[in-house]
Amino acid sequence: MSWENEINDIYRRRELARQQGGEAGIARQHAKGRLTLRERIDALVDTDSFDEIGRGAGAPEHGPNGELTGFTPANFVLGFARIDGRRVIVGGEDFTIKGGSPSPAGLRKSVYTEDLALQYKLPLVRLHEGAGGSVGGSGGPSLPAPVFAPSRFRSVAQTLKQVPVASAALGAVAGLPAARLVASHFSVMSETTAQILVAGPKVVERAMGEKLSKEALGGAGVHARNGTVDNGAPDEQGALDQIKRFLAFMPDNVHQLAPVRPCDDPVDRAEDLLADIVPRERRRAYDMRRVLQAVVDLNSFFEIGRGYGRSQITGLARLNGQPVGVWGNDCRHLAGSMTADGAQKAQRFIELCETFHLPIIAFVDEPGFMIGSQAEQDSTIRHGARTVLAAASSTVPWASVMVRKSFGVAQAAHYGPEAYVLAWPSAESGPLPVEGGVAVAFHREIAAAEDPDAKRRELEEMLAQRQSPFPRAEALAVHELIDPRETRPMLCRWIDRVQPLLPQLIPPAAR
Amino acid sequence: MATAITLETGGTVWKLHVKAGDEVSAGQEVFILEVMKMEVPYEAPGAGRVKEVHIAEGDVVTEGQTAIILSSS
Repeated sequence: MSWENEINDIYRRRELARQQGGEAGIARQHAKGRLTLRERIDALVDTDSFDEIGRGAGAPEHGPNGELTGFTPANFVLGFARIDGRRVIVGGEDFTIKGGSPSPAGLRKSVYTEDLALQYKLPLVRLHEGAGGSVGGSGGPSLPAPVFAPSRFRSVAQTLKQVPVASAALGAVAGLPAARLVASHFSVMSETTAQILVAGPKVVERAMGEKLSKEALGGAGVHARNGTVDNGAPDEQGALDQIKRFLAFMPDNVHQLAPVRPCDDPVDRAEDLLADIVPRERRRAYDMRRVLQAVVDLNSFFEIGRGYGRSQITGLARLNGQPVGVWGNDCRHLAGSMTADGAQKAQRFIELCETFHLPIIAFVDEPGFMIGSQAEQDSTIRHGARTVLAAASSTVPWASVMVRKSFGVAQAAHYGPEAYVLAWPSAESGPLPVEGGVAVAFHREIAAAEDPDAKRRELEEMLAQRQSPFPRAEALAVHELIDPRETRPMLCRWIDRVQPLLPQLIPPAAR
Repeated sequence: MATAITLETGGTVWKLHVKAGDEVSAGQEVFILEVMKMEVPYEAPGAGRVKEVHIAEGDVVTEGQTAIILSSS
């Protein structure tokens, strides 16, 4: 066999590549309670479905006679795989080699991950644990990239316009991997093993004089609550499970529609709890998540961004098997008002639905933009107006259910163009809630009255009557005033009606 | 087994319906927080006995604070 030596070399290198950072490196990873990248991939994808690309990339070591004595694989692993039978591209940093800090071949492979997802038009999953560049360089002789090379981030940006991108932070993630982590449609961090950092404690202490642990700087307590990542998960497996759940709602790319599943939840299921979940006392809060869950297909609601912008609830769900975006106000948190961070979360949600052609159902209980000095400092109006404009420019079908309040400019964010609008008997709407409005418009009358408090209450009561949904129905300002128990049946009929509109949302192929 | 009811948001304790030793049923309203002029009711997640009460009416409370500890029956 004339090629025997080379063939043996191929197998040898493959074997060395599979050993990752060696027994000691793997043991260190396990001792910290973390999986290795290859174990993570196995835990995520269908059994034996991982089809690796670029196993030979790395740095060889040779003996005096040119024979192979060792091989350090690239510290980024990527390939094709299947999740629930559907093909994806998956990749991530191998922390057991150089702490995931990009080696020349590792960097090349990480960039290729995005290129492959674009070429094959497949969802991209990145499993991150690694640091950014090292001041000592990436090791090995290399020239800086030529000026005519495309920007390293161009393909990262393109993936966000073309295919679903889901990412997880599973250990410490800093620098370039951290930027990649958040350049995604859905990101999740393990609350027990992950931190996300622009720069680690040593750099921060040197530059800023702040002495903080990795966890205090960029643990889940910080980043699962400020929108850096969408969700937290109790551990690595929990994070991987969330990625699977997210991808199940997604098409493979923007040229397809999201997969409709058979649904065994009856479309005419009418939940009695909906008839009295909204208290008659206008100040009394209720649990909007119960409303959402009672309407969408059983157990299909997947919440995104629960830890931040908490006055708004966003997520994905199914209606008669059709994936939809679901949005509701949480009146238990800041009365459900549109805060600066709630507005950013809602805008991200609308853009996700728009990119992947998911119809949106909105359950409206919007008292308006958050007010007060903190809200002004947060630039609530700027973020809020952007959300209103994102809704106004969207092209996906919308159905909006007026559950209770719908006030001010902020309410406009909850109704996309040509929205199908249903109102519950508890709906009240207008330019602003009566309590604030009365205090401003009638301040003289109230001040002049014998009993100002009684006068104010009388005026509030009178004006609250005018905000009733019946005149809106009479004026066809809502499509239908409904028994709340009819919400699911009516939305399921709507989702059936809009089916022929969905293929029209698909953009023409680039080539 | 003990279950803690922790506060989802800050606010003011408006009404407290239970005291230590009370039996509660699943879904029973145990206290009401006032947040941004809204009354936010909290319910017992399961049946049990009130073991500890860490809030009082009128208290200004913060997010994440433990309000009540229940021992399940």
